[in-house]
Amino acid sequence: MKAMHRLIDTGLEQLTSLVYKMGEEAQRALELAIDSYVNSKDSTESVREISDILGAMSLEVENKAFELIAKYQPVASDLRIIKSYMKIAYDFDRYGRYALDTSYIGDRLGGLKECDAWMRDFVTEMSEKVLSMVKTSLESLRSFDAMLARAITQTENEVDKMYFNYLDKLIQEAPATGKCTISSVLVIRYLERIADHATYICESIVYLSTGEKITLR
Amino acid sequence: MRALGMTSKDANNRKGNTKSPSPGVKMQTIDVNAWFGAKQALKNINVSFKKNAVTAIIGPSGCGKSTLIRCLNRMHELVPGSKFSGQVLLDGKNTYAADVDPVMIRRRVGMVFQKPNPFPTMSIYDNVAAGLRLTGASKGKDLDKVVQTSLEQATLWDEVKDDLKKPGTSISGGQQQRLCIARAIALQPEVILMDEPCSALDPIATAKIEGLIVKLKEDYTVVIVTHNMQQAARVSDFTAFMYLGELVEFGDTESVFENPKKELTEKYITGAFG
Amino acid sequence: MSNNYVSRKFKNRFFFTLCLLCVIIAVIPLLSILYEVISKGAPFLSLQFLTNDALHGGIGPSIQGTLILIGLTSLIGVPVGILSGVYLAEYGNNKYASFVRTINDVLTEFPSIVVGITAYSVIVIGIIGSFSPIAGAVALSIMLIPIVARTTEESLKLVPNSVREASLALGIHKWKTTLRIVVPAAKSGVVTGALLAIARIAGETAPILLTMLGSNYFFQGFRSSMDALPLRIFRDARWDDPRVQAEAWGVALILILMVLSLNIGVRLAARGRFKR
Repeated sequence: MKAMHRLIDTGLEQLTSLVYKMGEEAQRALELAIDSYVNSKDSTESVREISDILGAMSLEVENKAFELIAKYQPVASDLRIIKSYMKIAYDFDRYGRYALDTSYIGDRLGGLKECDAWMRDFVTEMSEKVLSMVKTSLESLRSFDAMLARAITQTENEVDKMYFNYLDKLIQEAPATGKCTISSVLVIRYLERIADHATYICESIVYLSTGEKITLR
Repeated sequence: MRALGMTSKDANNRKGNTKSPSPGVKMQTIDVNAWFGAKQALKNINVSFKKNAVTAIIGPSGCGKSTLIRCLNRMHELVPGSKFSGQVLLDGKNTYAADVDPVMIRRRVGMVFQKPNPFPTMSIYDNVAAGLRLTGASKGKDLDKVVQTSLEQATLWDEVKDDLKKPGTSISGGQQQRLCIARAIALQPEVILMDEPCSALDPIATAKIEGLIVKLKEDYTVVIVTHNMQQAARVSDFTAFMYLGELVEFGDTESVFENPKKELTEKYITGAFG
Repeated sequence: MSNNYVSRKFKNRFFFTLCLLCVIIAVIPLLSILYEVISKGAPFLSLQFLTNDALHGGIGPSIQGTLILIGLTSLIGVPVGILSGVYLAEYGNNKYASFVRTINDVLTEFPSIVVGITAYSVIVIGIIGSFSPIAGAVALSIMLIPIVARTTEESLKLVPNSVREASLALGIHKWKTTLRIVVPAAKSGVVTGALLAIARIAGETAPILLTMLGSNYFFQGFRSSMDALPLRIFRDARWDDPRVQAEAWGVALILILMVLSLNIGVRLAARGRFKR
């Protein structure tokens, strides 16, 4: 904690709470969308609502960040925080987008309920892993915990592996093309991308707290 | 009373410094300590200034930054009761060696001060020429040409070329400061020291001088003391942060301002104190 | 609340009036002297009065003597005074200079008669052997130098240090800085100070009484006595003849005109400089 309360601190606090809220909403959207896909429920309306909110908040974050830059010419950790928040807000926006895409697919092609058991298990396991990554990204953001952020590498590798395994297995099993095949391929693609963005968020957190620019993939 | 600096050999043995300057280092301080009477203003300063680069020295009031640059051109010793120890190397040679004439050092290391101080009894032309005339360096030189070149380099020529005979104090503050820069440049120094050159000026004059500083580094080595951190970030290649007489951190400006290594530096540049 | 205000206002007025009264009291003697001198001396003003020698009813020798005296005194005293002032201002940051400064300040207040007898015994008796304009000039210089040194030092101190720093930072030697940059910057103050000091010394009587004695004749060489306006006044005022006594007023008028015009002239000229 800085000793003196500076003019920029108020702005930074506002920006921070904005970004936190975005994260929570994005997480909610993802959980909703994935759950509905896995259990073949329809949630497109609710998810779209959240996604729209996320779009507006992303714009707000961008504006606030630029306002702080123009007014206060921040340096060092202040600058890194603002820079990172802008990237993270974009990543949250992407969370919302993929949540929406998943809902669409689930809505159009039906969920996992009527698919083969192995497909159901696979996608469920993968989605659980990805949701845990989303959780990690949010937690390390809340506490600026670079160590927690770095630990995401392992899960990211696992998710990547699962993604390619699934594709291989699909080709192997060569089921009749149908709703399940297409929807599951699309959805695990989305899951893989969500995992990527969770990783980007963690990279930003490492940068924000240590100034190091790294890749965790 | 001036303490003789340690010999370079001692410095070598202690710090493993190479005797010849690293390529590109124009000036270097080795274990510099300075006092005003009993009060110590500089503690063991070791810093180097790269050739044809701008190095900024930042820090809160009283941290010793002005004292440090005044040690670089041996102006510190003009203060009664002042003391100095250590070495200042200019192109590898100690400027505080016993056989060195401080006046000669000051001709190679020029200085521009916080408050513009053109000579009050002289015209603009005479101000720029003063350094040459009064150091005997004007013999055989085309003064008109030197004055014009210096004023051009200081980006002041166009504004005063028709008024060269007007008193040096008749122009605006920002112009006076550029006049002082031209006066310093006329002697063709190798290093230009600037002690908060823009603090007494308005933003537009400041911007002009900042642009000038960036241009100057093509021909000179520049060391600028500033309390304006954004200015340091804008014009300098390297930044030194000082606090209470000590050098806390030194590095290339981008790193210092994006990711300072020391917490004290971070606190200072984000405005958490001082 | 308003009671307070009324009483405060009254106190203000009272104090202001008191000060004004004191000023008037202080100025009255000057005005009355001027009145006396002008009214009693004006009748004597004529060309013969100003150019004839004493035997023909003129004060030519006195005027000539004062002018020669001022010239010699300035020649001796001004350079020494100015250079002393320069030393004290530019190089005087040590104990030795403080000592010199103290002595200097003491000398400015020194009783002029003591300066006179000293000059008499050392120069008139000891060196030259007779009354002399030189002895007079030396005596007056002894009084002039401390004043000029002090005004010079103060004028130089008014030159901001930033100017010296700028010059030294260019690698200009200190003596050149002092001579070519600082002194020219203080030029008007130094000159004004010297001229005002001369105007002040021009009216001193005691030192020249004992070193030049006075004379009825025009300048007669460096080994004889010489006249000066204050000396003439002194002689005339003590003469038994009331007509001669009255003449002293005319001489006084000339002396006052000389001193005042120098004083006012210098101040007017200096004002013009500051305006620019």
